[in-house]
Amino acid sequence: MDALIYTAMSGAERALHAQQVHANNLANLDTPGFRANMELATSQAVSGGYGYDGRHLGALQANAVSGREGAVRQTGRDLDVALAGPGYLAVQWQDGEAYTRAGAMAIDPDGALSVSGHPVMGQGGPIVLPPYTALSIGADGTISVQVDGQAQMQVIDRLKLVRADAADLTKNEAGLIVSRTGDELPADDTVAVRGGYLEGSNVSAVEEMVATMSLTRDFEVQMKLYKAADGMAEAGNRLIRE
Amino acid sequence: MNPALWISKTGVQAQDAKLQAIANNLANVNTAGFKRDRVMFEDLFYQVDQQPGAQRDDNTVTPTGVQLGNGTRLVGTQKVFTTGNVQTTNQSLDLAIVGSGFLQVQRPNGDTAYTRAGQLNVNAQGRLVTAQGLSIVPEITIPNNATAITIGENGVVSITTAGTTAPTEVGQLTLAGFVNPPGLLAVGDNLYLETAASGAPIEGNPGEGALGKLKQGALEGSNVQVVEEMVDMIAAQRTYEMNTKVLSAADSMMQYLSQAVR
Repeated sequence: MDALIYTAMSGAERALHAQQVHANNLANLDTPGFRANMELATSQAVSGGYGYDGRHLGALQANAVSGREGAVRQTGRDLDVALAGPGYLAVQWQDGEAYTRAGAMAIDPDGALSVSGHPVMGQGGPIVLPPYTALSIGADGTISVQVDGQAQMQVIDRLKLVRADAADLTKNEAGLIVSRTGDELPADDTVAVRGGYLEGSNVSAVEEMVATMSLTRDFEVQMKLYKAADGMAEAGNRLIRE
Repeated sequence: MNPALWISKTGVQAQDAKLQAIANNLANVNTAGFKRDRVMFEDLFYQVDQQPGAQRDDNTVTPTGVQLGNGTRLVGTQKVFTTGNVQTTNQSLDLAIVGSGFLQVQRPNGDTAYTRAGQLNVNAQGRLVTAQGLSIVPEITIPNNATAITIGENGVVSITTAGTTAPTEVGQLTLAGFVNPPGLLAVGDNLYLETAASGAPIEGNPGEGALGKLKQGALEGSNVQVVEEMVDMIAAQRTYEMNTKVLSAADSMMQYLSQAVR
């Protein structure tokens, strides 16, 4: 069989999987703190065998995250935080740390803070708050609470905030951000947060729609090549028959 | 089949659930003591098709890998316990709680439920009951010769009777607070039940700690912001639309494929 059909197949397969990335981004258009996944195509030279040097198969790469910021909106809830500018909140994941920009924190009956079930990290491990009557989160991530019967606010802990280049980050299977090397990131004093605000998803609906349209057409082109390869093989078969 | 179809399905489903929550919030814009629901989403797990750093040959490793997401998931609805607008009604049995406490009521099965809706009434037996007719805990009976009822900020209920000048104390209202109010189970009728997530109720007299004081003659309205809900509704509708567009794009791809094979 002609090699063309296999080359076209790699292109079609790439388009199909890339569509999955964009479908996932659009499905998460409304997920707080979601970072868009990026996909890109690379070419892989086919060496050896018969054929020309010009044969390159298309391959998909998709494990980069977009570092763009999402729209921030005011919620008025004490335990919502949005990161102002680049940076991430640290949460506990398995034995180590992972990072997220989803700032809708929840508190359990024992006072432990969590984001989507992952404990939120403070200066020295997961944050646990005493029973409080008022709570405020400062720009540097300091959590102060007013304990029952006391007039003064007191500082309990500080959110662990980190910063890293988007290029050094990737997602783990739970959708949390981790560093590519797998190391824990150090706390960074320059990261600022805003209490009472929540950041939305950073997915750009326009970009995703355009990418979807373009991929559908890409796929169609590959299908035309299938037909062309099929037509050529058929012409060869006819030659022998007559 | 094309996995993008199933991924878009999760997006469409999520927006469907969100619209339902928005509709419920808007329907309760005039419900006293109503707390709006917020729908929270999270991305589903990722499948790693190719691990970055895999050995390609003796000397090179793949610099990047392939991770494909599986869509979105509804993590839960969260009641937002911000305070609603307090309206002055001048009804002596209307109570607004200025703070985070809840009034306790007894359900027909004997369980204690919690509510923020302070539209109280007196039933045929003279007991203080909610608008649904559930008795307030602790039980307070108003004698039928009462001419005026006064409820203090600290929850003391006193009455005056015809011919007397000094008010008589007939009971003490208490409030209950929770460590994690969003963990309460909303059961409708403006009532909430205690759960393992909310923690045990902390009972106290109004004015103690975070429980808040009582304001007689006022009612706490719903905390639904109409404009916010409308904007959310537009966003939900468009997100729904865009996810269905990906559905049809994925469908076209499958169509091209099936047409390519004769």
